Amino acid sequence: MSADITITAETPRAPTLGRPIVRPQEPAVVAQTSPKVVIKDVRFYYKGYEALKGINLALQDKRVTAFIGPSGCGKSTLLRVLNRIYELYPGQRATGEVLVDGRNILDSGQDLNLLRAKIGMVFQKPTPFPMSIYDNIAFGIRLYERLSASELDERVEHALRRAALWDEVKDKLRQSGLSLSGGQQQRLCIARAVAVKPEILLLDEPASALDPISTQRVEELIAELKSDYCIAIVTHNMQQAARSSDYTAFMYLGELVEFGDTEAIFTHPREKRTEDYITGRFG
Amino acid sequence: MASEHIIKSYDEELQRLDNTITQMGGLAESQLGAAIEAVVKRDSDVATQVIEGDVQVDNLERDIESLVVRLLALRQPMARDLRQSIAALKIASDLERIGDYAANVAKRSIALNQTPPVRPVYAVPRMGRLCQAMIKDILDAYVERDADKALAVWLRDEELDEMYTSLFRELLTYMIEDPRNITACTHLLFIAKNLERIGDHTTNVAETLYFLVHGTPLAQARPKGDRSSLAIVRGGPPRGEVDDDEETV
Repeated sequence: MSADITITAETPRAPTLGRPIVRPQEPAVVAQTSPKVVIKDVRFYYKGYEALKGINLALQDKRVTAFIGPSGCGKSTLLRVLNRIYELYPGQRATGEVLVDGRNILDSGQDLNLLRAKIGMVFQKPTPFPMSIYDNIAFGIRLYERLSASELDERVEHALRRAALWDEVKDKLRQSGLSLSGGQQQRLCIARAVAVKPEILLLDEPASALDPISTQRVEELIAELKSDYCIAIVTHNMQQAARSSDYTAFMYLGELVEFGDTEAIFTHPREKRTEDYITGRFG
Repeated sequence: MASEHIIKSYDEELQRLDNTITQMGGLAESQLGAAIEAVVKRDSDVATQVIEGDVQVDNLERDIESLVVRLLALRQPMARDLRQSIAALKIASDLERIGDYAANVAKRSIALNQTPPVRPVYAVPRMGRLCQAMIKDILDAYVERDADKALAVWLRDEELDEMYTSLFRELLTYMIEDPRNITACTHLLFIAKNLERIGDHTTNVAETLYFLVHGTPLAQARPKGDRSSLAIVRGGPPRGEVDDDEETV
């Protein structure tokens, strides 16, 4: 009897032949919350110079959005628009709409003090007031609220704890804020911003003047704070943007070139200009 | 590379990574060519050279690993540079496996030389040539960052699979006809299987390259031509020493 070799053409019982099938994969998407700030066609002028050329963007609540781009691209300017701090300077104006919880904060009717209590800002260089650590925090609270001494103590402690500074300063609250190290001063400024219970935190290169350990403390702080706030951070440090943000916006020459999930921006950006910038090819 | 980094030494390191991949691929391809030659010409000396040459492929893989670790640690590559670094690691490991399979083909050729020749040996060099062409094309595609070319290589693996399935069937027939062929045919089967696996690793490289170029995985199932895993021998061997029941191979 001769043998008969059969090779069955298809068999449903052997679906895993060869290597596993490559499945279509979508890039990881950061779960969207709700847009806290909606920026619509925002233009900004320093006298005649147009520094922002029609920015459209939404900042999600309880998420960190990083702004990257070369110097002069408009990222800090955009942050300055968000709490209208530019109004302190003559000849600067913004057009378009910035909707915070649906209300346009660029309206002339907007109370600027209330706005800045709602939208805290921390700058590149730590800017503690020349007063005690305690008063640095209490100063802002006293502006907006009338609290008893014990309530005020509580709020100061809470803000310092929130900024991961309490354990380091609890025994020297009456010392000057200027006696702290650079990293501690920066966290003091973050505590000061947090103390007035803002909803949005704007961080303009918050760690660029800090040593690596203090930088990591600030980044860890950002990660903790994001559960309560909508955070926007401007940074020149790409790794910092990659590490600490959920979304990244790349700006160039006053335009928003690309906006997306941080993971996507740093692994496969869509725009060549973004890629050239983050890979260090910008000429 | 399309455009240059502001830091020139970064470009040089990425270029060196590319060059090492190309060198490693070229070596794996020539190892395979020599292994096939050893089978066809029944040349144990060539086979020995291939076996001894495998360590060079392994060394290049280590070189690539340390280059990539260095890049990751010192340059913190992003986007396409990051993909290139990761792709280099993956491709190096596929090429290393290809080298191993070539060495195994060479080893088996030495064993084959101690048995009488079997007819289907000509099908092996055909598979081998196809493998070599696929490796060569995928390396060209790598150098040119050509995802379409990679896709073409990826699709050609089906042809290799079909050749393997048909050789598998043929070798089974020879073994059934005359059990004295079993030793040689078994080695030939493994050689053919090695070549088929080389094809698979080449398609891995193609997929990695696709990811390197586009930043997204190849989202498509590859057509498969290897159906040898489904082979069944019906009926008994000619001498009837085994029951007539089906024998699963």
